Amino acid sequence: MKSMFLTFAAMFLCIVAFGQTITGTVSDVSGTPLPGVTIVVGGTNIGATTDFDGNYSINASSGQVLRFSYIGMKTKDVTVGSETIVNVVLEEDSTQLDEVVVTALGISRDKKSLGYATQEVDGDNFNLTNEQNVLGSLSGRVAGVQVTGASGASMGGTQKIKIRGVNSISGGDQPLIVIDGTPISNANFSGSDQADYGNLAQDINPADIESVNVLKGPAASALYGIRGQFGVIMITTKKGKKGVKDVNVQISSSVSLESTYNFIPLQNMYGGGSSQTFRVLDNGQPYVDMSVDESWGPLMDGTPVRHVFSFYPQDPEYGQLRPFVPQPNNVQDYYRTGATYNNSVSVTGGNENTSFRLSANDTRIEGVVPNTYLNRNNIGLSASLNLNEKVTVSSNMNYARNEGQRPGQGSEYGASYMVQWFQRNLDMNRLRDYQYDDGTFLHWNLSRPDSETGQISDFDPLYWNNPYFEVYENNSNDRRDRFFGDIGISYKILPELEVSGFIRSDMYTQNIENRSAFGGRRVPSYSVGKYQNREFNYEFLAQYKNSWGDFSFDGSIGGNIYDRRYSYLSMGTVGGLSTPGFYNIDASIDRPNTTSYLLEKQIRSLYSLVSFGYDGTYFIDASIRNDNSSALPEDNNSYWYPSLSGSIVFSELLNWEPLSFGKIRASYAQAGSDLNPYQTSTVYGVGTVYDGINTLFVPDNLNNPNIKPSFSNSFEAGIELNFFKNRLGFDFTYYEQKNKDQIISLDVSGTSGYNSSIINAGLIENNGFELSVNANPIRSNFFSWDFTFNINKNESEVVELAPGIDVYTYDSTTYSSVTSYLNSYEGKPFGSLVGQAYERDEATGMILLGDDNMPLYTDATHDFGSVLPDFNGGIQNNFRIGQFNIAAMIDFQGGGQFFSRSKMLSVRTGQDALTVATNDNGMNVRDAVEDGGGVKVTGISESTGEEVTAYVDARSYYRNVVGRRIYEEWLYDASYIKLREVRVQYNLGDNIINKLPFKSMSLSFIARNPYMIWQRAPRGINPSEISTGAQSISWYESGQLPSVRSYGLNLNVTF
Amino acid sequence: MKKIYIIVLSAFLGVSCSDFDEDINQNPNLPNQASGTQLIAQAQLSLPGLSSSPQGEFMAQYLAETQYVGASLYPEQSTSFYGWYYGPLADLEAVLNSEELNGNDGPINNQIAVAKILKAYYFWNITDRWGDVPYNEALQGVDNFTPVYDSQEFIYEDLFAELKEAVDLIESGSIANDIIYNGDMGKWRKLANSIRMLMALRLSEVAPAIAEEEFNDAMEDGVLESNDDNLVFQHLAEANNQNYWFGQIVNQNREWWALTENLVAEMEPVDDPRLPVYGNLTRSSGEYIGLLFGEEENIGTEEYSLLGDAIYAQDAPVQLLTYAQILFAMAEAATPERSWIAGDAASYYEMAVEQSILQWTGSTDGAAEFLEQPGVTYDASMAIEQISTQRWVHLFMFGYEAWSEWRRTGYPDIMVSPNGVAVPLRLSYPDNEAFNNETNYNDAVQRQFGGDDSIHESLWWDQ
Repeated sequence: MKSMFLTFAAMFLCIVAFGQTITGTVSDVSGTPLPGVTIVVGGTNIGATTDFDGNYSINASSGQVLRFSYIGMKTKDVTVGSETIVNVVLEEDSTQLDEVVVTALGISRDKKSLGYATQEVDGDNFNLTNEQNVLGSLSGRVAGVQVTGASGASMGGTQKIKIRGVNSISGGDQPLIVIDGTPISNANFSGSDQADYGNLAQDINPADIESVNVLKGPAASALYGIRGQFGVIMITTKKGKKGVKDVNVQISSSVSLESTYNFIPLQNMYGGGSSQTFRVLDNGQPYVDMSVDESWGPLMDGTPVRHVFSFYPQDPEYGQLRPFVPQPNNVQDYYRTGATYNNSVSVTGGNENTSFRLSANDTRIEGVVPNTYLNRNNIGLSASLNLNEKVTVSSNMNYARNEGQRPGQGSEYGASYMVQWFQRNLDMNRLRDYQYDDGTFLHWNLSRPDSETGQISDFDPLYWNNPYFEVYENNSNDRRDRFFGDIGISYKILPELEVSGFIRSDMYTQNIENRSAFGGRRVPSYSVGKYQNREFNYEFLAQYKNSWGDFSFDGSIGGNIYDRRYSYLSMGTVGGLSTPGFYNIDASIDRPNTTSYLLEKQIRSLYSLVSFGYDGTYFIDASIRNDNSSALPEDNNSYWYPSLSGSIVFSELLNWEPLSFGKIRASYAQAGSDLNPYQTSTVYGVGTVYDGINTLFVPDNLNNPNIKPSFSNSFEAGIELNFFKNRLGFDFTYYEQKNKDQIISLDVSGTSGYNSSIINAGLIENNGFELSVNANPIRSNFFSWDFTFNINKNESEVVELAPGIDVYTYDSTTYSSVTSYLNSYEGKPFGSLVGQAYERDEATGMILLGDDNMPLYTDATHDFGSVLPDFNGGIQNNFRIGQFNIAAMIDFQGGGQFFSRSKMLSVRTGQDALTVATNDNGMNVRDAVEDGGGVKVTGISESTGEEVTAYVDARSYYRNVVGRRIYEEWLYDASYIKLREVRVQYNLGDNIINKLPFKSMSLSFIARNPYMIWQRAPRGINPSEISTGAQSISWYESGQLPSVRSYGLNLNVTF
Repeated sequence: MKKIYIIVLSAFLGVSCSDFDEDINQNPNLPNQASGTQLIAQAQLSLPGLSSSPQGEFMAQYLAETQYVGASLYPEQSTSFYGWYYGPLADLEAVLNSEELNGNDGPINNQIAVAKILKAYYFWNITDRWGDVPYNEALQGVDNFTPVYDSQEFIYEDLFAELKEAVDLIESGSIANDIIYNGDMGKWRKLANSIRMLMALRLSEVAPAIAEEEFNDAMEDGVLESNDDNLVFQHLAEANNQNYWFGQIVNQNREWWALTENLVAEMEPVDDPRLPVYGNLTRSSGEYIGLLFGEEENIGTEEYSLLGDAIYAQDAPVQLLTYAQILFAMAEAATPERSWIAGDAASYYEMAVEQSILQWTGSTDGAAEFLEQPGVTYDASMAIEQISTQRWVHLFMFGYEAWSEWRRTGYPDIMVSPNGVAVPLRLSYPDNEAFNNETNYNDAVQRQFGGDDSIHESLWWDQ
């Protein structure tokens, strides 16, 4: 602490300790002088750089430390003695050869010795762009990792990560997230609609991230056993450094503005109603049919009519006519410009035997949806202390707080309905003041007036609330307090043998409240849930490392107890609220719904890893883990998971100059997963209480006492090649993974008495490749260019389901009695989208038409093929031009498909621009068929077998047939190329910095999601943001929030 | 710290640690046992669902849609029966298979009898809607996820036997937690026989001999004797147990249903005392005006008689099997066309109408006058048509049952074909049965309908 005070004092008073002037030359091993080497006096802000001839000059006193650093060279510390001339030779930094990576269980390994694929991403990528959910920053940066995001309007909405395709039939294959060795929960409290609270791993402070390492396959994550089957994302946070006494204070401040874009193009010709003629009151006034939430109404030609407002006696326009005109931007007008303010500070320090880092962050987001926000705070402390030469204690502590008021999403909640069920004539400026002075709410969708009196008898909204009522009255709030971290001790018994123990914890309390106010279309209600999770990991590890001549050995043995206790209380009012504005369970008119839930689970594990190396060239690893899960049946709960890997650094053998590094590797692993607790024993459900009679029922899902863990066998092989002093690198991996005995809830015929049953089933095979290319084509003092390209391709096949079962229904969605499914079929790729298609003539493939010339459709069993993408990846370019750093990140996806309900409904309700197209008679499709209007339909008549070309009524065609029943029409390819972020950073030059009390200072311009370069799907639907809440596999979109782009500035100062 | 020691020790000694606290995987959130009568009570909660559905009302053309006309146009779409199986039938099956029934809730035989009667009643409703359905191999859980479809003929036969068996099991003493009859086993006995009687009547065209025999047998064993014996589900004035139509019309503000033109035409000219209960006066003109079934253009909520306030009250009862229905059945059985039973068809008919009015209005006021209206007064020359038509009026809001009787008798002969689409003759099997139980599904569709799982194919008893 004392040193910190001194630093602060030095900083603010600009007191510079004058010592002697040290001069010298800096050169590389070959004696070539190095220009532009940075020299800093340890613990101060005094710095200098070498000139073109490698000469420098700096003031320092005896005992102080000079730190010499230069890109591509190892940093060197020199303590000032009595000499005033200090010449320094810097060695080439060969970290890319001897790169140390943190592997499973936090064991540090030489990257070159690994026999499996891992890929590391630098922390800068996470903390400079202000991604609202930090996991989104992984998108495109790691080969083999697919990230599907959510609209920025959700403010930290779900970012779903899949590694190497879908490896679980049930889709529940999220990777394990580990921060500094502590596994943390990545749960998600969102449903497939309403508020998207996002996945919980976003509680990490982005500014704390030093690096992220992705362990992709089971071999890499084998030491995590059951929990690591689907890969591991290991996050390492920034730490203080032991050694030279040094303190850094970093302050980062940013502000960005968010705006919406990418709306479905809507028509501006026809307004609300279901018929092109106005309804007329007995007094002769025509009026807009406010009972219809569609735009199949009259032409918006400026005819003076009564609008819905004019029926509210409180309204200044009561009884008056107003022109019937389109409101082209009514949907866009609803959204506002959002803003994100982010401020963070960190203090890093260390001396010979202590290091620490303290950080704090404050993020405030004002959403693009009115009256929505998210406030987030993070506090982190990491510290390490050497008690003596042998014993070290350390701790990481993180606290995160989130407080949000988020918009509803999905076709039935919030205001997303405006694209789907709305009137093109509705003026947002009239809806904005949603309440009259007397308290009456203004809605637009009401029962029709009595034509005689012209009065509306019931001002309760029919199907939709005023969108402003939704956000100002029906608030949804969520709050989370979270703590995670660890304490540990390690003891170096011998120089080669170290034992350590850790207690790790992750605990959170999540609160969720929902409200439905009086005066809306729903029964007034209030619900509240408090969800508490507490996970402990007790960990022990002994590591032995030694080498004898050319032979090296690395061995670890350890154990872990995982202990989870999760409980929640959730309650909701029933039958209404007793008093307007009193949102409390006590206000429930009838017996409220209540649930109290407790889950306890333990996994006890033992594991061991041995690694042999020969000559720094040949490596072989073997690991084994034993897991005992309390969630499995008692006599069958202990399982073993082995792995084996090897690698040869063949560049050591070739000695070919251009090849700086070359390695081949191969690995095999078996991993497993268990299931949630309580799925093996029989229970009954608690039913509705009828007048004091408590009912119980047989659950619809059948538990299975014979369940066993699932296994995955994986094999991978890869090659790494670095050329030209590591300025061009390739890393290629081919993998195969067989996932067997998956524990799934299989939909069974309901006639069995159950809707689904927990079974071990199936064999899914995935194979694919990952390629990453790194290049540094230009490297000079003034200009350098770094380039990273990642791509992966995955193919899956469902080889086997269960005896007698060749279809597995993973998910389904129903609207207007029409259902579509996400199924898996034996012998086909995973995840077929299934629904109603056009019925087609077998011979010609043309669509079949009924006697009314409307297209005929199949039942909901047509297989449209897999929803999963063929490939995805990213391209990152970094340019350094003088003091500027410019970075741009593009991610892309090829193939995959999804169903868009938003698009379907926008057409069905006559809102979409498609519904006012001009047909080849030159008439509007809405014009009467007998006048040459109508939608042109060509097909084969089912009854006559003849080819027919006919014009059909647009409303019947779109509203009742195509827009309601034929899902084939609304499936879209999910391919896209997206400019995800752009960053332009200016670093203040040394000549300026030296005059300021800062060590460094930079100003950045940031753009997030600025531009969708290309997408196969039509405008208005964003294929990169179809992760709606709890959908494990993204396969349909329904009331997606609009896309959000963000531009901002970031100021970063280090003292 | 203790845990760490355990790990350290076991790590070094190689001791496995697979022994957990015994109760760690016991679900603390749900009970692991249920009493028979609690399961029966849950199965009873599903009873109103047999009737409360717009689809049923459209099949019988009681209600027409006032907005967004679609469901009443008889679209070719599937309807799931899964909910009946994994819902009430699974609960009842659990009672029938239980080895732990407790006599404290009433004699075990009585619990079993009630479970059997309810199971039979559910299955009868299911087979009358879809045709052949899984029955004998159904409800076996893990032992059979792909049950075979039994023929409707077999199901009828077996249900007759099951109902007789249930009646034979009944002993003195009541059962607990009985939402329907408050434990009165006498009423359950009458209900079982009444179900058998109405099932027998359903076979009048396809198997008249069996029908006659079962009908008489059931009647002798004692059927409903008053409206107090009705199988009726009394909803409560609270949201957890409210009437379906309350949820739709009041909670969701869906004034979507008006009385059909045909129904009003049947009732209004003859001053039917039930009409003010069935529907409301129009808001615009204060009259009873029905909406043409399937009309898509001239629709609205102001100009037509919407569903009656009393029908959709929060605690409005749902009438399922009623005394009047029994009397209509006896009237039909006593007609010369059937002459299954002795007795005067006319007086059964008049009693039936009177009891129906009592059931719907709470009194018999106006019944006598009503029976004197032209077309209502019993006319032996058109007895079956007249009985069927009045039964249709009586069965208001249990559209599925009225639809079954229409399919059997062809009366009332006034049904509309919206856009030329005839009234369906069955419900189409659930879509996902084609995934989940493919072979048996295909067999059943092939066997009954030559491969076309259409709503316009007819069932065994409706040939």
